[in-house]
Amino acid sequence: MTDFVQLILNLLIFPGGLFAVALGLFLMGIDRKIAARLQRRVGPPVYQPFIDLVKLTRKEMVVPGTAHLQAFWFAPLLGFAGMMAAVTLIPIAGVYQGFKYSGDLLVLLYLLALPAIALMIGGSASSSPFGAVGFSREMVMMMSYELPLLVVLVTIALKVGLATGGIATFSLSEIVQFQLENGALLFDYTMLPALLAFLVFIPGNMGVVPFDIPEAETEIVEGPILEYSGTGLALFKLMTSLKMIVVLGLAIALFFPTPLGKNFLVNLLWFFLKCLVLMVIAITVVRTSTGRVRMDQAFKFYLRYPTVLALISLVLTLLQR
Amino acid sequence: MKKLLQKIAKKSPWLYRINAGSCNGCDVELATTACIPRYDVERLGCKYCGSPKHADIVLITGPLTARVKEKVLRLYDEIPDPKVTVAIGVCPISGGVFRDSYAITGPIDNFIPVDVNVPGCPPRPQAIIDGIVEAIKIWETRL
Repeated sequence: MTDFVQLILNLLIFPGGLFAVALGLFLMGIDRKIAARLQRRVGPPVYQPFIDLVKLTRKEMVVPGTAHLQAFWFAPLLGFAGMMAAVTLIPIAGVYQGFKYSGDLLVLLYLLALPAIALMIGGSASSSPFGAVGFSREMVMMMSYELPLLVVLVTIALKVGLATGGIATFSLSEIVQFQLENGALLFDYTMLPALLAFLVFIPGNMGVVPFDIPEAETEIVEGPILEYSGTGLALFKLMTSLKMIVVLGLAIALFFPTPLGKNFLVNLLWFFLKCLVLMVIAITVVRTSTGRVRMDQAFKFYLRYPTVLALISLVLTLLQR
Repeated sequence: MKKLLQKIAKKSPWLYRINAGSCNGCDVELATTACIPRYDVERLGCKYCGSPKHADIVLITGPLTARVKEKVLRLYDEIPDPKVTVAIGVCPISGGVFRDSYAITGPIDNFIPVDVNVPGCPPRPQAIIDGIVEAIKIWETRL
């Protein structure tokens, strides 16, 4: 019974739910502010995403007459719920353990695909031609960035698994535990290519500028979310902010979970700081300094560089054994 | 509670541009107000959005030509309430230099309720920002 209560609390209040939503929105606000400063603008206040959400809940909801209603409203709920569940799987060293099942990394991998799937369902159910174009682009994009992610995850699972005497461990808590005992994987030279591959994967998965092809605002007017207004759009915004926490948190858990002392609050702030630095490197700077690439370019890019980098790490790990 | 939400929500007006047969002068001016650092409107919480479904403040340019009239009215209907209309340039008011043309059905005021007029050919960026600020004040009362 207490386990169940604990689970609900984890889902709704602390690492998932309220906390993750607040953290994600706050990080997005900082992202917008830093992007504005990098372009020598004043920029919106850092709490702007919260205001946007309040505004969106007060707007009328317009539904296109030819849309498939059930699928149209199911899509944002699916994406949001999937990300809520995914956040609870992310361990924060010194603060939160995560789940101790042996396959939570695999569950996380599948949950990470949900936002893209939600966008696909929403885009195709909205009956808008832009939504359909966004749907097909989202699918190609997903196929291109999933492969390097998979290779990175397998590499780390093999690395930790071989070092602890097994074959491969797909448990995030074990991976974090291993790094707490033997030093973070960030400082292991065989893992550097994998880290680079993961850094390249982040903007693709978040759909920010060089790879915002499915939602290209100036080209196919935001694609899948074109027809959403009011609360539906707010749910998609929440989904994106939660996805940011999941992706950044996963990167931190995989490469640099090292806590700072034993204090709960200090560790939480340390986690926030790590998220912030990673976000500035992998999202903000990238999105302010590049322009959008074409679909085929992005596809080739992802199959070439990050995959090869991740494979180098994999081979090095196997050779080192 | 409603007052508080109103007060918070008014800081996030998203802009949407409709070109009702404009000569592109006002559109260039609109792009300038947002895109170059000097006149940054994102500091007011504004954001240009590509979709009419996300919009709060509609910026209309051009004299409403006969060919584009039906499309503009349809677009305007697609924008969810509460919304505010800002007419940019002198064309939506009177037709401007095109006023005696057979191709013009304007002024826009006959078909769409216009809340703020920003006259000029084209208006200065400062005037456009002033118009947006006026529109936010009107928008707040409708939230």
